[in-house]
Amino acid sequence: MKALRRMRQDWVLYAMLALPILYFVIFHVIPLYGMKLAFQDYRILGDHVWVGWKHFNVLFSSPAFASVMQNTIIISLMKIIFVFPIPIALSLLINEVRSSKYRKYVQSVVYLPHFLSWVVIAGIWISLLNPTEGGVNLIGNFFGLPSVDYMTSKDHIRWVFVVSEIWRSAGWDSIIYLAAIMKISPGLYEAAKIDGATRLQQMTFITLPHLYSTIVTVFILNLGFFMNAGFDQVFNFMNDSVISVVDILDTYVYRIGIGNGQFAYATAASLFKGVIGIVLILGTHFISKRISGKGVW
Amino acid sequence: MRRLELSKIIIYAILFLSTLAVLVPILNLLALSLTAPGRAHLMSGLDLIPKGFSLMNYELLLSNPLITGSIVNSVWITGAGTLLNLILTSMAAYVLARTNFIGKKLVLLFLIVIMVFEPGLIPEYLLVKDLGLMNKLTALILYKAINVYYLFILMRFFQDIPEEILEAARIDGAGHFRMYTRIMMPLSKPGLATLGLFYGVFRWNEYFRATIYISEPSKWPLQVVLRQFVVRKDNTSIIGNQNNLFDSSVNFDFASLQAGTIMIAIVPLLILYPFILKYYAKGALEGGVKD
Repeated sequence: MKALRRMRQDWVLYAMLALPILYFVIFHVIPLYGMKLAFQDYRILGDHVWVGWKHFNVLFSSPAFASVMQNTIIISLMKIIFVFPIPIALSLLINEVRSSKYRKYVQSVVYLPHFLSWVVIAGIWISLLNPTEGGVNLIGNFFGLPSVDYMTSKDHIRWVFVVSEIWRSAGWDSIIYLAAIMKISPGLYEAAKIDGATRLQQMTFITLPHLYSTIVTVFILNLGFFMNAGFDQVFNFMNDSVISVVDILDTYVYRIGIGNGQFAYATAASLFKGVIGIVLILGTHFISKRISGKGVW
Repeated sequence: MRRLELSKIIIYAILFLSTLAVLVPILNLLALSLTAPGRAHLMSGLDLIPKGFSLMNYELLLSNPLITGSIVNSVWITGAGTLLNLILTSMAAYVLARTNFIGKKLVLLFLIVIMVFEPGLIPEYLLVKDLGLMNKLTALILYKAINVYYLFILMRFFQDIPEEILEAARIDGAGHFRMYTRIMMPLSKPGLATLGLFYGVFRWNEYFRATIYISEPSKWPLQVVLRQFVVRKDNTSIIGNQNNLFDSSVNFDFASLQAGTIMIAIVPLLILYPFILKYYAKGALEGGVKD
């Protein structure tokens, strides 16, 4: 009774929460429930028919799906290995800049690509990688390398993903490491200087060890999104010549679902991805909490 | 001492090259878009100065109803969408950050569940279809009306407002809605500016939902037109029938027009960039991995 009275008293609070909650229920909970389509056959009219694991059986025996999984894992691994360390290195370099004006210039410029849409970035890179007049090939030619049409080359396109991902995110992602560096006590560097430590020694023996926990945390949190592999990038960089080596889970779901209208089958593929994603996110969240006390939420 | 100087020069040089890697491609496209029609083939991918300065490419682009219409659509989606984002997010943030009520823990748990369990693309698509929102800009405005991560960031901003101020208002008899509109909102301008930029940049750059929900070209936002034109290389929609409007002796360069469209899509971000640097970074750090 007391609780009821209190709830009535607080009606304004519930009223203020009503719209936000309603939004989540309609646009989040209902489609979440709609994932049951993975176990059904889609009917335009009338109820969908339950078909159990049918779509999953087709999915797991399809060679297209196997190649999509392989692409997703390869592209994600390449990004973890080659993209992940760059912002750390960049933050160490920026930290060595003593002139605040130059530092500000560098930071303002390298953060910029993070705010551009993937469509714009694709436009910029298509022009940059143009086989005849593109900047990359001009520089390559200067060093005696032959021109390559990188966007349509199966051997190169995944590396284009890696490099354009660095171009877009390395600057912005260095912020978190710079913030961690700022928190290191200046006294440590003073003491090291008195002991005659060089700048390089200060970097390896003071800065890097202090970055360790941030690096581990960011690394683990990134793992939680391993199955994404960067949908927007692939979607905008993809073309028919390279589709076999770049098609990832999310683009596959888009193509067979929205493109071909195989709604139920596409939902099965995306549910499969979602389950792995949740296991990864929950797993990394709890591991991260244990190691560093910092989680996804 | 000499070694120290050398390493410093190398570090400064690497960083300078990094900034060139960002700036040169963008400035090259700017120069290309300002190059006189018919002369784009004289521009190399590293040139930063237009060959024969001309605004004709922009005149053509901005006289094309598909482009001007898409700019209007994008401004509307970004403006109305961000406003909706801020209203819903701030209301929820006030209630969850500064009040106590029965069921609060349940709501917070619900939000975390929402954050972890993302629905797939297809059910979302079918929902929009069922709601009759296909081909309507409303579908794009309602999409991501609240971002849970951003809600948590705003809650942290709201928690920083001193309790005494709220207490004083409470003694004066202000109800919760009044406290939210008259005290919380005015005092949280930096937090709201940060969130406004988060949402605004997201809205302006959104293209994918528009690609799948909107099939009528006159309702496309700018990013979709840009994608059609630059990524999918569909030039007929832009120059095809428009060329007739101009003196046929003018041969427009496809590359210059593409570059111009890219520039039009970047301009609003460049205008806001000083504010983005001021607010965005701070907010992102507070919302990201925290101590």
